[in-house]
This record gives sequence, structure tokens and C-alpha cells, in this order.
Amino acid sequence: MAKSADLSFLREISLLKDLEEPQLVALWPRLRERRLRKSEVLFREGDPGEEMFFIRTGTILVSKVVSGRVEQILSRLQAGDVFGEMSVFGDEPIRTATIQAENEASLLSLDRKSINEFIEANPKDAARLFQQLVVVLIRRLVQSSQLVSEVTRWGLEATGLDAERKSGGPSR
Amino acid sequence: MSEPGPQAGLTAPGAAPRPPARLELLVRSEDGESFETREIASPAAYLQLRPQRLPDDQWELAQLPSGVPGTKKYVLKSRRAENYLQLDEEERFLWQQMDGRVSMQDIAVAYVMRYGSFDFEKIPQLIRKLLLADLLTLRPMSRLRDILARNRRNPAARAMEAGLHAIERLNVSSRRWNDLFERIHRWGGWLLFTPAAVIGLIVLTAFGTRALVNLWNDLGAISSALGHHAIVAIIALKLAFFLTVALHQLVHALACVHYGRRVKEVGFIVHHLVVPTFYADVTDLFMASRRARVVNALAGPTVHLVLGMLGVIWANALGPGLLQACVAASAVLQLQSFIVCIYPFSFLEMDGYHVLEDAVGMPRLSQESSQFMRGTFLKRIAVGRFRRQEVVYLAYFTLSLLSVMAFVGLNAWLILSAKHA
Repeated sequence: MAKSADLSFLREISLLKDLEEPQLVALWPRLRERRLRKSEVLFREGDPGEEMFFIRTGTILVSKVVSGRVEQILSRLQAGDVFGEMSVFGDEPIRTATIQAENEASLLSLDRKSINEFIEANPKDAARLFQQLVVVLIRRLVQSSQLVSEVTRWGLEATGLDAERKSGGPSR
Repeated sequence: MSEPGPQAGLTAPGAAPRPPARLELLVRSEDGESFETREIASPAAYLQLRPQRLPDDQWELAQLPSGVPGTKKYVLKSRRAENYLQLDEEERFLWQQMDGRVSMQDIAVAYVMRYGSFDFEKIPQLIRKLLLADLLTLRPMSRLRDILARNRRNPAARAMEAGLHAIERLNVSSRRWNDLFERIHRWGGWLLFTPAAVIGLIVLTAFGTRALVNLWNDLGAISSALGHHAIVAIIALKLAFFLTVALHQLVHALACVHYGRRVKEVGFIVHHLVVPTFYADVTDLFMASRRARVVNALAGPTVHLVLGMLGVIWANALGPGLLQACVAASAVLQLQSFIVCIYPFSFLEMDGYHVLEDAVGMPRLSQESSQFMRGTFLKRIAVGRFRRQEVVYLAYFTLSLLSVMAFVGLNAWLILSAKHA
């Protein structure tokens, strides 16, 4: 990033909010800007990838294929949200969902190499970053549980299945 | 129909009811370059389920002797699972609807038309019983879409599926028009449903008929003018007719609010995936009286009668030329539309057909007649005996077939007459 660090934006990112200003300034040149047009796909489920992204502007849809051209929307991410961290910190650098812009969006990306270098150079700040990463992952887990529950409820309601009955069957 | 589906939200006892669950989907375009998001509420999905009973050779239905006069009981047997279920008359009717082609919503509509009221418990209760007895499966989508989905490797099937999807996307609707229709009704729309309007219509029809007779003498000149400007005439006629369809739906909507019911939705749709048209969802009228339903059915087509009669009177007043030819042809098209709408025997489920359905108490008369002719008719001929219901099927099918042939013949004759002129 050639421009000076946008510290106010970096402080809005939950993952980075506990970092001190010098660390944020040090991190800034490692970030790469990426712009997405409306409906543009950033990456698809199953693609290789070693970057995580911070949303600067716009809305991002996270989806997973259900069948054919139909996908289920897992979440809608807004400015300040982060995604792609699972490919960076997980065992395999494989994307687990498809990411696309619902409207025009601007992102900042950070690759695995830059993160590793940052962690090695700033072990104290790395601990803060990982603490926030745990918070982000817990939030994701809660959202996923809620989604599973809501999808199950949808299935029960849409088929009229009465799960309270021992033998099942439609409700009412 | 209002939503007779599952409870809005599965809730713990004493808890406030939760809104229906919604599923948000992302559907990509064929080329993958764009997408659209669709939110599907669980009741909407429930209404689209198509209960499919066992194949006909795997079940039996017999009437039981009833101890109570005026009541009928039936026993339904699954030959596959050797299960027996007792059904009452209404449940037997619902069972007959569950052929895998009719959605829950359509079944609910058929029930209301047959019995005049709706019990929101009845259909799900019966479905529960049938599922437990292994007599039923639930189909989530249309058979055509099902077949197309199974044959996605075939480029033609894929193209057709994409075509259907594109046509479906043309549907535009809004649920916020009821207030507008109520205002139009209050500001004078109610006048359409008064005896004065009926008298006015009779007078107009009399003058129009006289003008039509006069115009008939100029048929050669009119046909000739049309023939010389065929493309302009066709475009003008189509456009004028398209606009009158919107007026037809407006009057249906006014009839609906006139009888104190709500217009649930208005919109634009490609009817039967072929005919572009406007529509007004006045199914709330099922909750009104039979008179209201009949008036509503007649009100829409009357628009075409009025426009047709005004058209022939105007054409009669004009001198020979393209304008007179277009007005006269447009008027004839309107009068034809009136007849097509009002005439029940045409295989088309138009307004007159719905009145007939209501009168004979057979809400799927057209489909069941076709099924009867394809399946049981030859067997009955061999036996030489028809049930009362089958006589109605046969009469409907025969009259419709003859009517369609007559209609095609008449139009062919008109075209040939114009060509020779």
C-alpha cells in the first residue's frame, strides 16, 4: 500500500483492534488492496488460497453450493469484518466457501507469509491477534449453530413435520 | 389462499410465536457471471409441496355402510403395506386430489370450492395419517422441473430449464395494491356493480349489435384494409388487447373489494409459460358467497364485451380505411375474448370455467376430464356403464373438443375470407 496507513479503519477490524499503533503502521504496507465489482466472485469453494481479507467497504456474501447453480447464503459480511482466515491458519490452504460481492466492495488482503513474518517480529502482539482470532472464531461457531438450528426449523416447517410426535409425520 | 401451512415457527409452550423460518439462497445465472438472492419462507415452500399418493394399482377405496343417514365413510387400503385407514367424505375428496401434480395450495383451493369453507387442520391431519400408513410421499417440485433436473447432462434439457427459469424471472408482482383498489371502488368503482350498470350494458349491447350488423355489410372493405396494412394492424391489435387485459384484471380486483375481500397480489406473469398477461390474486373471494364469486367471474369478461360493443359502434361511425379496419378488428377480438372468457367448454380455465366448476362442485374438472379420457374411458365403453361423475367428464370433454374445433374453424374461415377479399 503506497498511501499512508488508514489507522481508523484498521482499528475497526475486530481482529486488529488490540494492536498498538506502531504495529498497525508496520502491518499496513503488507496489505494489498482488492476491488470487486457487483456480483464478482473473489474465490470459490475448493479453490486454493493463502490470504485473508478485511472488508473496507461494501457487502460480501459467503455461500456454499447446495445443488447445481443454487447456493445457500451462510452470512453477509460488512465493512470491518474479516474472512479467509481458515485457509491461512487452518491445516489446508483450501477455501471452504465461495465469496462474492453483493455490491461494489473494497478489500484489503494479507497473505500467510506476511502474517508469519509479522508474528515472528511481534510475538507479544501476535498473542493479542490470536486472542481476537479466537473471539472471531467463537462468533462464527455461534452463527453456524444458529444457522443449523434455523435451517432445521425451516425444514420442519416447510414439510409440516411434527418432530414432537414419536412417529414423526406432518404437524397439526 | 392464505397460508394453511405449518405453524409460523415451532415454539416452546408459552413462548411468543416466532416468525416463519426463512432460507436465503443464492442462484447463479447460466453463465455464472451474475447471481440473484432469493429468500424463501417455510410456509411458501409448504404450499408448493405436491402430495403424491401410491400408484393406483397399490391402493383400494371402498365405501362403508354408515349407520348415520347422510354421512359417508370409506376405507382406504394400501395393498403394499396392508394398512387400512378410515376416511370421511371430505378426506376422500382430498385423497383424490393428491396425485403428485397438485400443490397443497391448489388442494386447499379445491377444498374451499367444493365445501365452501376451509378447515386449516384438515389437510395436514390427513397427510399425517396417510404418511404413517405409507400411502403418500411429498413431491417438492413440478414433474417437468424434476425431469429436467435429472437430465441436466442433456444440452436441450439444460437449455429448457434455463428458459423456464428466465420466463419465471419475468414475473413481477406487488402486494400493496389493495388500498388503491379500495380507493378506486370508493370513488366510483362501486357503480359497476349496480342495476344501473347492468341496464347500461344491455342498452350498449343492443346498439352494438345493430352496429355489428351494419359493419357486416362492409366486411369486404374492412378485410381489404387490414390485408393491405397487415403488420401495422397486427401490432395495433396486440397492443390494444394487451392493455385491455390489465383493465380486465382491474375489474376483477374491484369486484373483490366490492364484496369486502382483499386483493392479495397483482402482477405480470407469463401464463402457462407462454402467454404474457396481468393478473390479480382475488382468491380471498373463496371466503365470500357463491354470488360474489359468480359476479367476480362475470365482471372481468364484461370489460371485453363493453369495449367490443363500443368498438363496433365507433367503427360503424368511421369511414372506410385503416382506422376503421383496426377498430373493427380490435372490437371483434374483444368480443371473441369475451366469449372465450365466459364460455366454459374450451379446456382453458377462464372465468366461465370457474363458474361451471363452482356450479357442478368439481374443482379440477378440466384435468380430471382429460385424465378420465386418457385412462378409464375405453374401459367404461367396454363395460357400457358410466358413473354420474364420469358422465360430467365425458360431457365436458366432448363439448370442449367440439368448441375448440369450431373456434379454430371459424378463425380459419375469417382469415381465408380476408385473404380472398
